[in-house]
Amino acid sequence: MTYTEALRLAIRRLRTNPLRTFLTTLGVIIGVGSLVALIGVGQGTTAALTSRIAGLGTNLLSITAGGSITGGIRGAAGTASTLTIADANAIKALPGVLAVAPEMTVSNVVVVDGRQNTTTTMTGTTSSEQVVRNYQVQTGTFLTDLAVTKGLRVAVLGPTTVANLNLSPAEVVGTTVTVNGIPFTVIGVTQPKGGGGFANPDDFVFTSISAVQSRFTGATSLRTIGVSVSDPNNIAVVSSEISALLRLRHQIAPSGSNDFTMASQNQLLSVASSTSATLRNFLIGIAAIALLVGGIGIANTMLVSVRERVREIGTRKAIGARRRDIGRQFLVEAIIVTLGGAVIGVLIGIAVTGPVGSAVRVPAKPSLAGIGLAFGSALLVGVVAGYWPARQAARLDPVEALRYE
Amino acid sequence: MAAEFAAAASVVDSPELQPPLIEGRGLTRIFQMGDAEVAALRGVDFKIKLGENVAIIGPSGSGKSTLLHILGLLDRPTSGQYLFAGVDTDDLDDDRLATLRNRAIGFIFQSFNLVSGESALDNVAAPLVYAGVKRKERNERAQESLIRVGLADRLHHDPSQLSGGQRQRVAIARALVTRPALILADEPTGNLDSHSSADVFSLLEQLQAEGLTLVTITHDQRIADRAARVLRVEDGLLTEGSQTSAAYLDHAERTWS
Repeated sequence: MTYTEALRLAIRRLRTNPLRTFLTTLGVIIGVGSLVALIGVGQGTTAALTSRIAGLGTNLLSITAGGSITGGIRGAAGTASTLTIADANAIKALPGVLAVAPEMTVSNVVVVDGRQNTTTTMTGTTSSEQVVRNYQVQTGTFLTDLAVTKGLRVAVLGPTTVANLNLSPAEVVGTTVTVNGIPFTVIGVTQPKGGGGFANPDDFVFTSISAVQSRFTGATSLRTIGVSVSDPNNIAVVSSEISALLRLRHQIAPSGSNDFTMASQNQLLSVASSTSATLRNFLIGIAAIALLVGGIGIANTMLVSVRERVREIGTRKAIGARRRDIGRQFLVEAIIVTLGGAVIGVLIGIAVTGPVGSAVRVPAKPSLAGIGLAFGSALLVGVVAGYWPARQAARLDPVEALRYE
Repeated sequence: MAAEFAAAASVVDSPELQPPLIEGRGLTRIFQMGDAEVAALRGVDFKIKLGENVAIIGPSGSGKSTLLHILGLLDRPTSGQYLFAGVDTDDLDDDRLATLRNRAIGFIFQSFNLVSGESALDNVAAPLVYAGVKRKERNERAQESLIRVGLADRLHHDPSQLSGGQRQRVAIARALVTRPALILADEPTGNLDSHSSADVFSLLEQLQAEGLTLVTITHDQRIADRAARVLRVEDGLLTEGSQTSAAYLDHAERTWS
């Protein structure tokens, strides 16, 4: 019997008991559907996480001052006054460094615009901040070199800060806000980056470093220095160069430990993507179990079907069916049920990926790879689930089968 | 089709020149029942020629079903030789036996053994599927076969919509569709009322008269009486039964007319 004949026979057979066929298929539909949807959601999660982290600054190396030591107790990172503007300038001179942004940060400043006020963080920096931390301007401009060198009291606000002041980005530019009582002219608002975990990257006031220095801290020490590396593949080399440079400048003995810490965005990225890969694999695992259960359902139905049709098998053997004809008939039937379920499952999976994604706030969309994987595993499940019953049917002794009541 | 049977029948005119279609030589069949061995056949010899009408009779448990299974190539003898058209079937593997069943043997079962959920036409065409005949030709031949058994108006009926007699005629159409040399009927009227029985049996006799070799297993003496030759199975042994001259003459008349 050709596969075409087996196909025709199987379809005819499956149509005689549509309810059973549907229930058998249901397991595969659910398995494949959830596989497609969960792979889509998993990939959406990874993509969203990666783009958010990348949005915080590509090729970024972040250097943070060590904790100050008071009475033998080390304070929080960034509290020591070890990083200076001179350090930032020295790093700028290193090969492989694209841009350096010295960051002098004042926490918990109160920004007032008319009657509204909000508490946020003020960072004095330079125009390089835009490149280093990857900011896009929404309205107005970013800090200019002129504003920085002149120490002008100008401010660039984050969109969250603007929203907290009950203002729109368009109307805030050009107005004057006060920060801890000192007036600043707003010159720009940045594009939102989206939530990036613990710290909201959209809630800040940027101004020139000299303004912070003269009006707030009065010191030259920095909390952090942001470094943008020209070639991301070079990040390890540049990072060790910076480390060596700072140790030299801070006169740290070879046995002494660093008075600063350095973190690359790539490290964060790889941690985040391995975390989301674990999550995705976990979800795929669950869906695969659903598909496996569906496969067991098919194997079970096929075994029952073989048992019910023993006489038919005997008759078919009597009229000339060979073992492989009978085996093929049952195998094709199992595969059709699985593939039919896989097709419906893929369609349902595609349909629910978006809604499931938005339910967990992830921009999920079905991926071709996910669909391929779901379809491929369904086919495998069908062959495996159909093989044993088909083999049983094929091996029935015709005399026994004809005698079977 | 009829012409082929007629041609085959004309060869039967000279029985001495005709090699047997099937021949058994010292056939035994022993079944293992736990520790005990049960001999269903204990050395059976026979020759059946093309075009013969043979009834095999015997009480239940005599071994006649076992014999039918061997004749139908569904089972193999424990010892002895079973020749089909001169070929020792012991030399054939299971697939070759299946092919031979498909091409050369038509089965008619007591309980019809039609596949429900498939139309009469599909049931009749089923052997042609295994013979690799294309769909169009298959349906034509199945239809032809169903017309021949008088079911031209039941082609697309499900077996469950047919009466017992009609079902058995579908089964006969299925047995005929491959134009086999041998029809093996196992109690073909056992599940039918007397009216349908007569109906089915006259159909079989008519086909036999057209040249088919018919071997019927039965315990119905009336059917045996109408066969040209009776083989009696008892305790696993086969004896050539006595035939009444009347049946012989009757058969001869129908054959020659």
